[in-house]
Amino acid sequence: MMKILVVEDESKTVAYLQRGLSEQGYSVEVATNGIDGQHLALTGDYDVIVLDIMLPGRDGLSVLQALRREKNTPVIMLTARGEVDDRIHGLRSGADDYLVKPFSFLELLARLQALGRRGRPQDNSQLHIADLHIDLLARRATRGTRRLDLTAKEFSLLAALARHSGQVLSKTVIAELVWDVNFDSNTNVVEVAVKRLRAKLDELGEEKLLHTIRGMGYVLELREGSAGEVGQ
Amino acid sequence: MSLHALVTHNSIARRLVMMFSLAAALVFTVTGFAVYSVQRMELRRHQFEEVHIRFEYVENVIAHRVPNLEKWSIIQEKLAELTSPDGSLLYMVESNDARFQFGTPFEKGVVTDREDDGIDRITLPDRTYLAMSKTIPALGDRPEVRLTVAVDPHSFDTTRRILRFALVGFSLLGVCAVAALGWWITRRSLAAVDDLSRHAQALSPQKLGERLPQNDLPSELSGLVLSFNGALHRVEQAYAQLSTFNADVAHELRTPLGNLIGQTQVILSRERSAVELQEVLQSNLEELERLRCIINDMLFLAQADRGMRAENLTRASIAAEVALTAEFLDMLIEEAGVTLEIEGDADALIEPALFRRAITNLLYNAIQYGARDSVIQIRIAKVDDFVSIQISNHGQPIGNQHLDRLFDRFYRVDAARSDSQNSHGLGLAIVKAVAAMHGGTVFARSDSTLTTIGLTVAHAI
Repeated sequence: MMKILVVEDESKTVAYLQRGLSEQGYSVEVATNGIDGQHLALTGDYDVIVLDIMLPGRDGLSVLQALRREKNTPVIMLTARGEVDDRIHGLRSGADDYLVKPFSFLELLARLQALGRRGRPQDNSQLHIADLHIDLLARRATRGTRRLDLTAKEFSLLAALARHSGQVLSKTVIAELVWDVNFDSNTNVVEVAVKRLRAKLDELGEEKLLHTIRGMGYVLELREGSAGEVGQ
Repeated sequence: MSLHALVTHNSIARRLVMMFSLAAALVFTVTGFAVYSVQRMELRRHQFEEVHIRFEYVENVIAHRVPNLEKWSIIQEKLAELTSPDGSLLYMVESNDARFQFGTPFEKGVVTDREDDGIDRITLPDRTYLAMSKTIPALGDRPEVRLTVAVDPHSFDTTRRILRFALVGFSLLGVCAVAALGWWITRRSLAAVDDLSRHAQALSPQKLGERLPQNDLPSELSGLVLSFNGALHRVEQAYAQLSTFNADVAHELRTPLGNLIGQTQVILSRERSAVELQEVLQSNLEELERLRCIINDMLFLAQADRGMRAENLTRASIAAEVALTAEFLDMLIEEAGVTLEIEGDADALIEPALFRRAITNLLYNAIQYGARDSVIQIRIAKVDDFVSIQISNHGQPIGNQHLDRLFDRFYRVDAARSDSQNSHGLGLAIVKAVAAMHGGTVFARSDSTLTTIGLTVAHAI
């Protein structure tokens, strides 16, 4: 189980992060000021640290600097200011990633997974979800015996969803994973891509695998009694 | 103000009056001194001349017409007549022969200063004489005599003193007059400044359109007033932009916030099933995501407003960057039934993420508003020190009244489109901000068939 330290002083943020991350199967510890945060970060053994920049006691950047002198624990910085120089400052001072407040929980999850996976051997090149089979090396996907005729981007989208099977991916996260677009593009590219993929993936009579979670994003999984769900 | 100005240390009026007075004092002193010196020399010449004339007259007579005692007695009478009773003119004749003597010679040892032209200045305890002495050789029975003529220059000295006094007095009066006039002139000239300061005091944020009066100003002030008014103009524009921006932001946020509050209140006012609750939460989430996007975009624009420049610049082929961006929009291009044509290439220093974001917005607009089966043309060209990227689509023309405001925040050509989930009216404002962060600008034009919108970035920052 991945162990995460959240250093954040805003109580509502702490509450939902703790609950959300715990439900996702992480073990979460919390520090609500920079001094405790630095102490825990230096003494504890965490897989990832989520670190706010604006903190009482000690600001996030100096906590990060103190941590980097001793450890290489991956760190995600949270910045409310949204200033690019903050980001660059954060990354140069040793942060592995950053999120600008207000940030989306799904995006945080995606980044946590990416950091947690880092350094571990890449999972096998064959993915199975119900009767869907994906060969990442050959870039081929089959459903039962039916070979899916996918374009390159459609395949990348399917692979991204399949790698995170069971986890809701927001449009922003998908855009980043598939197209390497790391800004809110305000376009409907992802919707269109999902619509196309769904048309090829879930044919009439087959069990639906690609689900739309309204307001959240998309998830690829086998759901009980999902036949009646209306896709978007 | 005017009196105050005269006593305040750092006052132009005071400083000018002081300067005027100093200059006047200097000029008066120099001229006064010159006049005094010239007059003094003139007076001295006159004094010497007088002594000479008197001396030479008597000398001539004694030297040539007094050969005996008889004649001498006539001269003696004459000299007695000439000698003034108040002692301001003295004649003295000294001789070894007691009969050929006249007057009382100065005592030995009186202070004698030698002046020019054989004249001595003799200072007695009570008066001063200019004296001239010469030995006249013997003639007939008359032995050798020594003649002395002494003139008291008292009257000349009085004239000199009066002149000196008058000069000093008039100079002082003159300095005072110049100071007073100077003060008056300065006040009159600076009245324009007082006027401006009164106007400037009346300026307030409520009356942003107010300007300082520019007519009838002295040329020295008109430059300052012009620049000041220019600054006021820029402040007014920035202020106006800021306040419309704030109003727009409030308006943009009001609708989703109202929906969120109302919807949540409605759903919480009864017992609801989990399905219903879930539906409302999902709808809320959609609105919240929208708010998040607006806020993030506005933070981005605020940074650009503060003059932030792009960082992490890399030199890149613009055509390649555009092609990469087009790849992201590939499916939309296909769905819209349009094709892209990229023409030309140039390289520029850009921050790829920012640049792609701007191109995404421009292309997305072109795709949305481009006519079916038409071509979207992208022209890249290096113009002077800039690289220009023009994106043209065939379709409904955009009215001239919209073109100027196209890049304004929250400005929408077609108000009905504002409901679209994917647009919150900041797309082109972001393009403009990105252009500015790369030292470039934006442009838009539209005719009956073709709409072209684009940006420039500096070739090298």
